[in-house]
Amino acid sequence: MNKRQSRLFAIACTGIAAVVFLGLTVDSHRQFPTLTNEAQLTPQVIAGKDVWHKYNCVNCHTLFGEGAYYAPDLTKIAKHRGEQYLQAYMRNPAQFYDEQRHRRLMPKQDLSDEEIKNLIDFLGWVSNVDNQGWPPRPILVTGATIPGTDMTASQQAQTSGEQTTTGQVPPGARPLTGNENPIALGERLFRSVTPACNACHSVAQGANMAGPSLAGLTAKASQLVGSPDYKGKAKDPEGYIRESIVDPSAHVVPGAMYSANNMSFMPNTYGQSLKPEQVDQLVAYLSSIK
Amino acid sequence: MRYKSQSVAYWYFAVAMVLFGLQIVFGLLSATKYLGPDPLLYILPFDVTKVIHTNLLVVWVLTGFMGATYWMVPDESRTELHSVKLAYLQLALWVVMGVTAVIGYLFRYGTGNKLLEQPLPHKIVIVVVMLMFLYNVVMTIRKSGRFTTTEGVLLLGVAGAAVLYLPSLLEYDNYVVSIFYRWWTIHLWVEGVWEMIQGGFLAYLLIRLSGADREVMEKWLYVIVGLVFMAGILGTAHHYYWVGVPSYWLPIGGIFSALEPVALVGMAMYAYSAMRRSGLAHPNTLALHWTVGSAVYTLFGAGLLGLAHTWPSVNKWTHGTLITAMHGHAAFYGAYAMIVLAMITYALPAISPARREQGTSLGYWAFWLQLAGMFGMTLSFATAGIGQVYLERIMGLGYLDAQLKIQVHFLMLIGTGTLFAIGVALFIIDFFRYAPRLEVTQDATDPDLQAVPVKPARA
Repeated sequence: MNKRQSRLFAIACTGIAAVVFLGLTVDSHRQFPTLTNEAQLTPQVIAGKDVWHKYNCVNCHTLFGEGAYYAPDLTKIAKHRGEQYLQAYMRNPAQFYDEQRHRRLMPKQDLSDEEIKNLIDFLGWVSNVDNQGWPPRPILVTGATIPGTDMTASQQAQTSGEQTTTGQVPPGARPLTGNENPIALGERLFRSVTPACNACHSVAQGANMAGPSLAGLTAKASQLVGSPDYKGKAKDPEGYIRESIVDPSAHVVPGAMYSANNMSFMPNTYGQSLKPEQVDQLVAYLSSIK
Repeated sequence: MRYKSQSVAYWYFAVAMVLFGLQIVFGLLSATKYLGPDPLLYILPFDVTKVIHTNLLVVWVLTGFMGATYWMVPDESRTELHSVKLAYLQLALWVVMGVTAVIGYLFRYGTGNKLLEQPLPHKIVIVVVMLMFLYNVVMTIRKSGRFTTTEGVLLLGVAGAAVLYLPSLLEYDNYVVSIFYRWWTIHLWVEGVWEMIQGGFLAYLLIRLSGADREVMEKWLYVIVGLVFMAGILGTAHHYYWVGVPSYWLPIGGIFSALEPVALVGMAMYAYSAMRRSGLAHPNTLALHWTVGSAVYTLFGAGLLGLAHTWPSVNKWTHGTLITAMHGHAAFYGAYAMIVLAMITYALPAISPARREQGTSLGYWAFWLQLAGMFGMTLSFATAGIGQVYLERIMGLGYLDAQLKIQVHFLMLIGTGTLFAIGVALFIIDFFRYAPRLEVTQDATDPDLQAVPVKPARA
């Protein structure tokens, strides 16, 4: 190649790449409204984005995996934590995490109530953007779990509401017949529904995470249902567990860690997102925890 | 120094050195915060130290680029700069912009848009400075009537940097769209036009230091430009995988970012063959260390480590972890910090004649300590990132639980970061140790200007 030819090579490469890139940019714009649900881009969501920028959130957290890697990714946080919890958390993070134990703590940001509301709307909008199924596993803030590793991809899709091609089986998966013990099925759901129960609850004695530990739940529940403080409708421990799943605020566990303004921090979406038999399986599993 | 106006470069370099030192202070501070607890939580939280760390990097590297350009263009075009006054005014404006921006960040005055945090007035000043710079360089070349390929590539880089900063001035209601155009500035700077600037300096240094044949060097430079732009422009797609864009960006990002190292291999080969051709004979061997070091480290940090996590099926797991910090540190240091340090080291003996042409022993300590420190930091981030991917993404551990289990890597990071900081401190000390004598020492009318003191090692 002589100098003239190499110059032509440089110009041609650059030109072709630029034209292709601009063409794809135009097409991306055509698809943004669907991919990002532009119809749901309310003034609150846009104000929430400005709050996100104003408090420099991205230089600790990541969103869509972009940011500073110093604090958890928040792309799907609105699917893992209810609005009540997020509100209480943003008012005072130190209430939920201990800097001595966790080594890191989010400084209190002094957000106004309106800013918090808008930011939660923004994070809710972000969690619904079609981003090619990332992250590959739910990114939890705390807890130790191996979610869904014993299920086929299609079974995971059924329980998590995400779209996957049917028939895919993760490597090393044990096939499911569907006639398993309801307790086993419930345990699986515990780790794979959206939001995953184990993103907030442990089943180990004394290990309270975002929600209280579920160890010895039946014993605690029967004590509670019999006590005069109880305000829900359930009559027996199993009924109480069912009630707590589909209507978490029916009876609020006291303590600033788990509720505010008589609203439980637990998301109240399970009543709609789970089939009745799935709730049965979860109740069976939760009742079995000693 | 051959031209009086080249002395402006010294002041640009001096400012760059101060900012480089500050950048490392904030970097070390950020690194210790990974260990926690953080006694400065309410005075200098991580988000503030991190913003300052990355912004100072961009500002000092650009200051270095500008200084190096003002050094190189008179040399290449064999003329004085168009306007020395304009160059000083530009530097003053730039420093005021940089200092006020950093002070603003201390009080969270910024847009919180990662790497483009500069508030709007600052962005406008940046554009003005870039245009002043471009004008001055273009006018100098026009006046001289001598336009070399290395200058052309450099100019393309500088002009591209100015143009591609413009998308960052716009705001979008849709966060996804704003991410889309944010990368037009960040990615196309770092993996496009800045590489042009690096290529231009590399060619200049290799021609000067190794006496390599200009025709051959320039031909290679065109090939590299073509490869960089082809892979770099479409490689922007590797930032688009998981942010809410159409799925066709995945294969495009995978293929073209896999091609990106080709240009870098070309660059390293180009450096090696240039030296082979002439056989290392320029007296300034320290500058040669930095030059070849930059080419090799670019291949390692930008090329190899970039390739390590750019393929979509891998990136799906590594995206948003410390693996990105690994690649980022090695790539920026190798490609941009080292080429600026190479230009400074090349120019220094001419600026302060008291200095040994071969480079001082302090200078060599600075080189090797920085290299060892940065290699160690890269390894610390890599091992931390691999641990994080395994624990968090594969095992499904919570974010905070996984971070607690990789604390030992943060200790490594602080240790190797300290080593690197010592290397930086030595470089800065060595820079300021000799007072500059900003006067013309070589006769500019010398007809044999190309004959810098290069002795052929092999006859």
